[in-house]
Amino acid sequence: MVGAPSSASTPDGKPAPNGTSPADGAAAASEPPASPRSITPTTVKDLRDAVSTVGAVLIRGTGTATTWGAPVRDARTTVSLAGMDRVLDHRPADMTVHVQGGIRLDVLQAELAEHGQWLPYDPARSEATIGGLLATGDAGPRRLAYGSLRELVIGATMVFPDGAIAKSGGHVIKNVAGYDLAKLCHGSLGTLGVVAELVLRVHPLPATSRTVMVRDVDTASAQRLTWALTRSAIEPSAVEWCEPEQVLAVRFDGTADGAAARAAAARSMLTGSLAELDAGEAHSFWESHAARVVAEPGDTVMRAATRPGIDPGLVGALSAWADRAGVKALLTCSPATGAYTVRVTGSDAKAHAELVKNWRASVEAVGGFVMLRRRRPGVDAMVESWGRAPGSVEVMRRVKGNFDPENRFAPGRFAPWF
Amino acid sequence: MELQAATDRRRALEAVLRDVIAECGPSLRVLSGQAERRAYETDALTAHRVLPGLVLLPADRSQVAPIVRACLRHGVPYVARGAGTGLSGGALPAESGVVIALAKLNRILDVDPDRLVAIVEPGATNLSISAVAGEFGLYYAPDPSSQVVCTIGGNVAENSGGAHCLKYGFTSHHVLAVETVLPDGTVAVLGSDDIEAPCYDAPGYDLRGVFVGAEGTCGVATRIAVRLLRKPEAVRTLVADFPDVPSACETVSAVIAAGIVPAAIEMMDNLAIRACEDAVHAGYDREAAASLIIELDGHGEECAELFDQVSALCSEHACTRLRIAADEAERAAIWAGRKAAFAAMGRLSPEFLLQDGVVPRTRLAEALAGIADLSAAAGLRVANVFHAGDGNLHPLVLYREADGQGPAAEKLAADIAELCVALGGSLSGEHGIGVDKACSMPKMFSPADLTAMDRLRAAFDPSGLCNPGKVFPTPALCGEARAGAYQPHPLEETGKIQRW
Ligand SMILES: Cc1cc2nc3c(=O)[nH]c(=O)nc-3n(C[C@H](O)[C@H](O)[C@H](O)COP(=O)(O)OP(=O)(O)OC[C@H]3O[C@@H](n4cnc5c(N)ncnc54)[C@H](O)[C@@H]3O)c2cc1C
Ligand SMILES: Cc1cc2nc3c(=O)[nH]c(=O)nc-3n(C[C@H](O)[C@H](O)[C@H](O)COP(=O)(O)OP(=O)(O)OC[C@H]3O[C@@H](n4cnc5c(N)ncnc54)[C@H](O)[C@@H]3O)c2cc1C
Repeated sequence: MVGAPSSASTPDGKPAPNGTSPADGAAAASEPPASPRSITPTTVKDLRDAVSTVGAVLIRGTGTATTWGAPVRDARTTVSLAGMDRVLDHRPADMTVHVQGGIRLDVLQAELAEHGQWLPYDPARSEATIGGLLATGDAGPRRLAYGSLRELVIGATMVFPDGAIAKSGGHVIKNVAGYDLAKLCHGSLGTLGVVAELVLRVHPLPATSRTVMVRDVDTASAQRLTWALTRSAIEPSAVEWCEPEQVLAVRFDGTADGAAARAAAARSMLTGSLAELDAGEAHSFWESHAARVVAEPGDTVMRAATRPGIDPGLVGALSAWADRAGVKALLTCSPATGAYTVRVTGSDAKAHAELVKNWRASVEAVGGFVMLRRRRPGVDAMVESWGRAPGSVEVMRRVKGNFDPENRFAPGRFAPWF
Repeated sequence: MELQAATDRRRALEAVLRDVIAECGPSLRVLSGQAERRAYETDALTAHRVLPGLVLLPADRSQVAPIVRACLRHGVPYVARGAGTGLSGGALPAESGVVIALAKLNRILDVDPDRLVAIVEPGATNLSISAVAGEFGLYYAPDPSSQVVCTIGGNVAENSGGAHCLKYGFTSHHVLAVETVLPDGTVAVLGSDDIEAPCYDAPGYDLRGVFVGAEGTCGVATRIAVRLLRKPEAVRTLVADFPDVPSACETVSAVIAAGIVPAAIEMMDNLAIRACEDAVHAGYDREAAASLIIELDGHGEECAELFDQVSALCSEHACTRLRIAADEAERAAIWAGRKAAFAAMGRLSPEFLLQDGVVPRTRLAEALAGIADLSAAAGLRVANVFHAGDGNLHPLVLYREADGQGPAAEKLAADIAELCVALGGSLSGEHGIGVDKACSMPKMFSPADLTAMDRLRAAFDPSGLCNPGKVFPTPALCGEARAGAYQPHPLEETGKIQRW
């Protein structure tokens, strides 16, 4: 498969309108125009050959998050991990699994489930690849109890732009030898290196999962109930709150009796319109909960990170700015970890851009960040994908410069930061 | 030539001193006398000693950046230092270098019982965080045995672990953000932007994740935001004795494979058991070939249910005696016995070397058999007390310097670490690489791996002045003579801290 140029495609995987790169322009001026090509290597060595090329490279997993961050300029080559999708070594008794970067999360979970194990990680898109998930630094509701993917990665093999194949970590769950390159790639969005292989720490599948739901929870109550939970010893695995629905959902994983006891404790502790969902209801609730942040073309999706809590000021600002711009803003919040995902629909690009700008200012005023995961066409011209740069941006720039001096991997992804 | 270089180094140090005094004022404590500096020439890996040129003790965290900038300006290497309990020479000064000793910056600045976050200064001891958080029913989970004295800054640098990290994870899992004086002299918060309002998933590369475990080579931490946990509702502890080492190892695997994640699984072999029992009379069975201490915690019912399963698994694996702690006093006694292991070792041997290595948990039996073989071949005894649940071995190589066994002991310890690597494990589970194991790094990592890591180091520290000579093998270091024996930290000898 290596080197076999597939049909011309854009970095988003859609057929290019007329066989040219979508970003053909200034950046490519000095190079002769070449059609973008897609390579699907199957081994680490082929992968190295694939990236040791000229011109910009876009790394691709399943392609569910290619719009995250700023658009990549002029990707000459798309390197797809679709051919590196295997489990290399699952050691159930050690509770570790060694996989290729292109394996889909759902495929991996199915393999692990056969041994009563799982990766305790629940991003909204389970068809995403494990390498892509690490590169997007994504996490779902259960991040609260189990951490993000970076906490579960114990070893990594990376391929860097110069073709160097480097490993860090290993197969053991406790290890402090050398720097942790896998952590570096967390959130790197394809700009540093290809995650070719990962070794992950897996966990026993919980026997049961229980979900308690509270309805008609306004912002202030959501805050209060969340703190009641964090002040108790009942260890929820997820606490989620949605607006405009105003429901608070609390999940417990554990042994059959244990999870039931903790859910019961939550019911007696929380106040309001309470219900415990049965298994079927819970399943469909969490499915739809994941789906609610999945956008349609034409939507804009923002992700904010703030300190833990639901900030009533931010929620209020969001709906006020949305009303003013005449758009609909669907908010999903993980109050205990301070993550907000907002899906914006309706009206036009100008209105979306306005909302992003205004709400970003509110979030930044409390020390948080807002990045764009996707935007309505036209929004890019009006608002940056990244807001205020963190104080550590200079180190990020130097990291990027040291690993990718020619700026070939996903150029533009972190614009305007670097 | 050499004389000239020495003069230049002295001048540079004088310039640093002038600058920092001008910028920081009289509250910055300066130790320049030889005797005062002597106290900083080594950490707990006492075989390595280098007299620093200057020791500075900031009285306020705002003094750290001017110190780093002055070092940068005058090309003087520097190293941050916490309590100096590191076991790999991480805080070893550079020759004519500066030590930035952070012990006085030891305040717990804030505990937020809702957000479960504490903001602390780097010199705060590990245990002091839990002590303050305890008022809210909270604690800081990573529990190195040195927690009475070691600092959170040192823990962050070493990504320290402890007995209870099996369930709760290491320092890295509990640090949300680190305010850092970067080696370029600027201050940045890694992992967030506002150290007082740390967020979970800041955008961009996970520099916080890189900094934790970088052994002080990526800058100096001046404030740290750590996660706190609610104290568990229930804790249950048992000691299980086994007729042979493989049975104990199989039990560890069986517990893990049953899908149970205990808070801690510790193992002792017969040599260690006898030493502890003779010293402390904790009620261990002197005849047992191996013992496991297993602790579970969590919500009441769940903990009880899993504890019964663990007890049953021990019995199924030829356990000869199962002792279940009836109350908190008995639980404390069991742990006291375990933690007395180090002090007890002196009964077995005048000198010993402590090794730290990791193997996959299913290969524990093989590793211990391999260690026994190496030990027999070397004609030296090895005692084992370790974090079995993580596969983190801490073999103690016993020897007599007076009998000229030092070099053989050194070699045996190095062979054991490399055996761990050969079994698919790691050179270090918690003590770090520092100067101690830098020369073994090529056993575990290829030149390409090390080059990538060095690129990362250089992105943080382009000038190479921040804790140079650590982690990476250098010809100068790796040409040197053997490291020599471990000597106990003074606090260990008093029994205040334990090494595992
Ligand atoms: C419409 C939509 C909605 C979503 N909603 C949610 C949501 O609500 N909640 C949620 O948690 N998640 C959501 N996701 C995201 C998703 O769960 C993953 O984060 C993402 O899909 C990553 O996997 P991928 O294989 O699809 O990566 P891709 O989309 O192929 O790539 C993502 C990025 O990672 C880089 N990359 C991919 N593979 C590698 C590799 N092996 N090495 C290095 N870099 C690589 C790419 O260059 C790119 O920058 C959503 C995605 C979409 C498209
Ligand atoms: C008896 C004993 C028992 C031990 N038990 C354990 C154990 O159970 N688990 C375990 O993991 N370790 C253990 N250790 C090792 C040691 O205690 C840990 O590595 C600890 O984290 C070191 O902390 P410290 O404050 O003493 O750091 P130091 O020894 O002073 O320094 C260690 C490293 O941290 C760097 N550093 C210190 N402060 C900062 C800062 N503010 N910013 C940047 N870098 C900094 C130094 O430069 C150095 O590289 C033990 C040591 C002893 C002596």
